[in-house]
Amino acid sequence: MRLHFLPMVCVLATTVLAGGLAAQDEGIDWLTSYEEARTLAKTTGKPIFLEFRCEA
Amino acid sequence: MFDAQVVLSPKNSPRGKLMSQYVCVRVPRMDNVDIGLFEYDRYNTLYFFILNADEHIYMRYGGRDANSQDTFLSLNSIELALSKGLELHKLYQEGKIARKERPKPVFPKEFAHLVKRTFAAGACVECHLIGDFVNVHREEDGTLDKTRHLYQSPDFRIIGLHFDVPKGLAVKDAQGAVKAAGLQAGDSITALNGDAVYTFGDLQFLYDKLPRTTETMKLTVERAGKPVELDVRLPHLWWKTDIRFRQMSIDPRTYFDSRALTAERKKELGLKADGFASEVSHVDAFAQMMKSHELKVGDVIVAVDGAESDPVADTAEFYIKLRKKAGDSVTLEVLRDGQRIKMPLQTYRMSFRK
Repeated sequence: MRLHFLPMVCVLATTVLAGGLAAQDEGIDWLTSYEEARTLAKTTGKPIFLEFRCEA
Repeated sequence: MFDAQVVLSPKNSPRGKLMSQYVCVRVPRMDNVDIGLFEYDRYNTLYFFILNADEHIYMRYGGRDANSQDTFLSLNSIELALSKGLELHKLYQEGKIARKERPKPVFPKEFAHLVKRTFAAGACVECHLIGDFVNVHREEDGTLDKTRHLYQSPDFRIIGLHFDVPKGLAVKDAQGAVKAAGLQAGDSITALNGDAVYTFGDLQFLYDKLPRTTETMKLTVERAGKPVELDVRLPHLWWKTDIRFRQMSIDPRTYFDSRALTAERKKELGLKADGFASEVSHVDAFAQMMKSHELKVGDVIVAVDGAESDPVADTAEFYIKLRKKAGDSVTLEVLRDGQRIKMPLQTYRMSFRK
C-alpha cells in the first residue's frame, strides 16, 4: 500500500523542490525601454532603477 | 563583472528584494536618451539613476577613476543606495519632498558632429562619444572650458579624501585639505554646499559642477549621529586629475610626459620662478612615427610659442593641453646640453576624429 503511493510522493517532492529552486534562481525582470519603465512606474507607483551600460 | 552581478541579482537575495520594489530598466544605447535630464560623466562605462515616474531624480550611482571603471562601485553600497531610494520615494509620495525642476531636454541628434559619426554611419551612440562630441561643439562655439570639460570628475584623493567604498560616503581616511578642515575617518558625508548627497555619484556630480576657481567648499558630515559643518580650503589645481583614460579628441596629443622643475633647479638654470619650465620624463614612440617632435628625455622645455608661464599650467605639457587645440603646431624653446634651441611640435587629434 505504502509502495503504491511512492511514485506520487516522488513526483510531488520533485515538483516542490524544482519549484523552490526555480523561485530561488529567478532573476529580476529588466526592461530595455525607459518610456515603458516610466509608464509601468506610473501604474505601479514604484520608483525606477535605471542603468546606462555602454556595450559598444 | 559588477554590471552582471547587479543585473543577475536573484529575486530572493537581499539586493534582489530591494530591486523587486523598483521598475528596473537597462539602457545599452544612448540614441534616444534625454542627455539633458540624465547628465553624468560619459566616461563611466556604467551609471545608475534612481528616480520616479515624474522624472524627479533621487540619486545617482556611479563613478570611476583612471585605474578602473569599478573603483567606486560596490554591491554593498548599491544596496545602501537602493534602500535609501525607497525611503526617498516614500517621502516624495507623501509630499515631503518637493519636486525638482526638470532640466531642459537635450538629445544626441542635436549634435551635428555626433550624428555624422554615429547615426549617419549606422554606428552605436556610445556614451563617451557623446561626451567627446559635445565638447567638440563647445570647442567650435567658444564655450569649451578645458579646466572643467577636459578635467572632469576631479579625484577626491587630491584633497586627501579617501572613501570606504562599500559604505557609500563613509570616510576611510582624511589627509591634506580635508584633514585641515577637521574631517575624520568614520565621518559620513551628507551634503556639499548645502545640497544633500546620498552616494559617491551624487557627491562627484556636484563637486564636478564647482567652478575651477573655487577656493572653499562646505561639507556637511554625520559624526556620532550629529551633523557637523566643515569648511574645506581647496588647494591649487584641486581639479587636475588623471585624464589619460578619457581619450578625448579635444585633448591635443603631444606624445611626451614632463614634470615641473623645482624652484632650486629653475634658479640654477636662471629661469623664471613662476614659469612652467619642465623636464621631459618620457617620449612616446608615436612621437617619431607621427613626426610630432624630436624631444628627448632630460630636455627642459622653457617656453611654448614664446609663453613661459601661465596662471594654471605648471608644466609645458599641461600648458599645451590647456591652451592649444588638437592639430595646432607650436614652437618649443628647449634647453639641451646647455644650449637653448627652438624646436617645432605638431599636436594631433585622436584618430577617430580624423
